[in-house]
Amino acid sequence: MVSATEIKPGQEIPSVTKSITTDSILRFESCGILDRENIHNNPEMAAKRLGTTYTIASGRMSITFAAESMRKFFGPEVFNHTGTVNLKFLRPVKAGDTITVTGVVSGTEAVDGGTRVSVDLFCDNQDGNRTAVGIGTAVIS
Amino acid sequence: MADPEVKIFDYEKVVIGEELGSYEYTLTQQMMDDFRASVEDPDAPFPTLGVKHDATAFAMVYDDPIGTVNAGNEVEFFNPPIVGKKIIVKGRISDKYLRRDKPYIVLEATAVDEDGRMLEKLSTYQLKKPDELGKKWHPEQQ
Repeated sequence: MVSATEIKPGQEIPSVTKSITTDSILRFESCGILDRENIHNNPEMAAKRLGTTYTIASGRMSITFAAESMRKFFGPEVFNHTGTVNLKFLRPVKAGDTITVTGVVSGTEAVDGGTRVSVDLFCDNQDGNRTAVGIGTAVIS
Repeated sequence: MADPEVKIFDYEKVVIGEELGSYEYTLTQQMMDDFRASVEDPDAPFPTLGVKHDATAFAMVYDDPIGTVNAGNEVEFFNPPIVGKKIIVKGRISDKYLRRDKPYIVLEATAVDEDGRMLEKLSTYQLKKPDELGKKWHPEQQ
């Protein structure tokens, strides 16, 4: 777990890299409580609605990857109770892609209960194309 | 046969602040295992992300034949859910707007467990014209 005094703007958080497969996309979808077809698990529906020849991974997978990177930096006892992740999705993520999350501390501010640390977050694929961008935060007491 | 309780989604008729009701389910070890395997993280604490609380609340109320693409998510974490505990979710449509003539809605869901522990608050920015993104991603196919 990091302390507020150790954290400086520009500091990098641990990166995580994930291989996206058809199985991982389908398995993520299987966590739902409704049995429904969508652009993530049905190629025909993806073709009809998006015009793609492939299904796309849920954006929530990228949220989870970014949360892992943040958790590794702040520690689970901090991030799992005070953390946030806010991502805007820029490009589709599909089976065969490799997604790497990186992050850089952008600032700190005093808040009730401690110091809120903000991190600029980036998700890039194997071709160097940015698939998502956003901000994560956590509060260190 | 379509669920008679589910309404056909009409963007024009959506009201900002519309409640999507609540539902509950029990988090199983299978859900936790599948989630952790899918994201290659044996310690991933929030399988609730895979349940897609807000989109599930929406799907319990609306059938959307046009479909949607997730343009962004905001999530706040409060406490990791516990396997075997009941999770209670409340959803609503928190915003609706046009950006570059494209229709968006914002779904929001909060989740607490059976002991009243706040777990997660999730928002999703949904583009209600998914073919627009397909054109952007693959202009050569249009």
